[in-house]
Amino acid sequence: MAATGSPAPTPRTDASPRRALVLGGNRIPFARAGGKYVRASNQDMLTAALDGLVARYGLQGERVGEVAAGAVLKHSRDFNLTRESVLGSALSNETPAFDLQQACATGLETVVLLANKIRLGQIESGIAGGVDSTSDAPIAVSDRLRRVLLDLSRAKSPQQKLAALARLRPGDLAPSVPRTSEPRTGLSMGEHQALTTAEWGITREAQDEIALLSHQRLAAAWDAGFFDDLVTPYRGLTRDANLRADTSLEKLATLKPTFGLTLDTPATMTAGNSTPLTDGASTVLLGSQEWADAHDLTPLASVVDAETAAVDFVHGVDGLLTAGVFAAPRLLARHGLTLDDMDYVEIHEAFAATVAVTLGAWESDEFCRTRLGLDGPLGKVDRSRVNVHGSSLAAGHPFAATGGRIVATVSKELARRKAANGDDRPVRALISVCAAGGIGVTAILEAA
Amino acid sequence: MTAAGGTSPGVADLRREEVVLPGVPSLGRLYARGAAASGRLVLARRFGRGPVDLPEVAYVVAGVQADAAHLTAYQHLLGETASDVLPAGFVHVLAFPVATAVMARPDFPLPLAGLVHLANEITQHVPLRLGQAVDVRAWAQGLAAHRTGTTVELVTEVRLAGPARELREGPVAWRGVSTYLAKGTHLVRGGAGDDGGAGVADGVEGTGGADGRSGSGSGARPAFVAPVPTARWELDAGTGRRYAAVSGDRNPIHLSAVSAKALGFPRAIAHGMDTAARALATVGAERGDAFTWSVEFAKPVLLPGSVAVRVAADDGPGGGWTYAGWHPRSGKVHLTGSVRPL
Repeated sequence: MAATGSPAPTPRTDASPRRALVLGGNRIPFARAGGKYVRASNQDMLTAALDGLVARYGLQGERVGEVAAGAVLKHSRDFNLTRESVLGSALSNETPAFDLQQACATGLETVVLLANKIRLGQIESGIAGGVDSTSDAPIAVSDRLRRVLLDLSRAKSPQQKLAALARLRPGDLAPSVPRTSEPRTGLSMGEHQALTTAEWGITREAQDEIALLSHQRLAAAWDAGFFDDLVTPYRGLTRDANLRADTSLEKLATLKPTFGLTLDTPATMTAGNSTPLTDGASTVLLGSQEWADAHDLTPLASVVDAETAAVDFVHGVDGLLTAGVFAAPRLLARHGLTLDDMDYVEIHEAFAATVAVTLGAWESDEFCRTRLGLDGPLGKVDRSRVNVHGSSLAAGHPFAATGGRIVATVSKELARRKAANGDDRPVRALISVCAAGGIGVTAILEAA
Repeated sequence: MTAAGGTSPGVADLRREEVVLPGVPSLGRLYARGAAASGRLVLARRFGRGPVDLPEVAYVVAGVQADAAHLTAYQHLLGETASDVLPAGFVHVLAFPVATAVMARPDFPLPLAGLVHLANEITQHVPLRLGQAVDVRAWAQGLAAHRTGTTVELVTEVRLAGPARELREGPVAWRGVSTYLAKGTHLVRGGAGDDGGAGVADGVEGTGGADGRSGSGSGARPAFVAPVPTARWELDAGTGRRYAAVSGDRNPIHLSAVSAKALGFPRAIAHGMDTAARALATVGAERGDAFTWSVEFAKPVLLPGSVAVRVAADDGPGGGWTYAGWHPRSGKVHLTGSVRPL
């Protein structure tokens, strides 16, 4: 079906700026929190993912244009996490790097930024990535202890030092652990999604079906060897540890709801249809056509464009994880494209309900008219095109590493489909990743 | 001389005797004095004596200034951006002890100890900034009958201090009206079967099972129906102590379970102005420089405790934002209010 009122497709102008190409990717299998990577730091895992990429594409000693990566949960010592990882990797020590953080959209944003630099001719190649560990999460001292310690370090006389120490109370010694709640609302991401899930009336069954499909598709991709050239084993892990190939709707139905327990509507969100806390890292190799040719690499896809949106969840205007719903139509309109032009739609499965709400909102005539300013529904996406090799519910979601996982996976799929088509028809994918703070990043990729 | 502030009471203001205090008094000392005065008042009432009218005085303190560290501590605690603009709730903290001094007078007709904070309305006409000296003026007005006692309004006005430091020279920059209830003290007769909407005064007895909301019987106020929440406050046992530290208001009912029990509460309760200020902070920068921020308090928040919260734009004619806080499981309302740009 065609979205009514969408602008007619206009010819793309590739003359300027030039294309930025996805040349490959590499990640380590994702582990469950407290699992195989329990003692591995963010830097350890990012370096492992980088080294796997270097080995796969023969980049030993290479000076890459720039490496951009990030982590959501960072130790204060990790102020230069990506550069330190580069220094520890087999890349040339003359490879510059920078850290980026945009909550769960970090990974996708690093791809967008480096692709833009390549398109502008600022760099010829880049590695985008992300990493997160919930097992090795930073724990800080309490604010009061921190103030005492800081005052102590500034104190000059013994009297001043004693006075600072005298302010300490036993309770101040309790550590401060990172919270997953939104700073301005105090609600966890799950509780925020539960509000949106209830608003859209997403059923438990619909969510469990999305979760089941995610596990089945990811398992099938692993079994088919799809990830053989996208993943490097690490610390004894050769597959994503969260994957439950044998799960079923019956098993998922036995799980107790964990979010939305105090709402008027039945609680539907469980550990089975929500992403678990995960450790892992991912990388994506990007480059210009010239750089790809010089390195004898076959481009998989080009990064066409990206759009980021944000919503006002603080005042209850829209759901915390719905910004991608707003970003995608703006991005499509800019290119005169519709959802029907997307052969693949990748929606990060923060929760199964996030996917259901996103697709439901695009199908809703009323929502698209009143909230998106469209003439009618943006469109309906058949589930056969959504998250075709599984997504975060099955693979897990090491926050900043998810964008890189999705980009590398879907780029390979785009190239595979283009080759299978055997013609010049464009093959495209839309990616949407929601993030804390009411942010959503979307991007269009096209088979190279 | 006329006060330029649009909300100044004009004539009524002038008939009050002006008492200039050397500085903002300490709330702790006022509470001690108020407690003693309350005791005497209870005794006098028993013999059919004691004051029945509000003292015709206005207390004035000139040249009050905020301290940067105090301001920062307040802003961090309440979730405000640590800008140089004083949050409206911080001005309340700064100025309200002057109003409390009026209530602690021996001739104040209601006992300070045990007063229940029913409602508060603050109008911020122009923003006040760190480094600006302000004059504070406070008085009591509007003694009124309530079905369970007597209510009174404490009015506090804050003006930017003029260059020559003449009092009441500038327009009112900030004005606060705090409504208190003295339960069981009936000074004003008749007329007030319905009491201006403050409704639920559960501050003292209503913390148990029976809720004053359903027992009010007046039917004037629609029952609170919990809306879809937008936030949740997890308030730990130290919440009252932390607000006491930034507000100077160390009323024992807020500090610990033990001290609150001594005054008839099952556990410590959160400061009402703490919760109202959190809601104001959640509205955020969109509220602008000039606004009216009002709150009505219902059931106290027992600590530790969770409060389900909604802060959302008001689509009605009033505009601005409305907010509410309620118990996430029982649905009983703790506070409701609004923030309306001027």
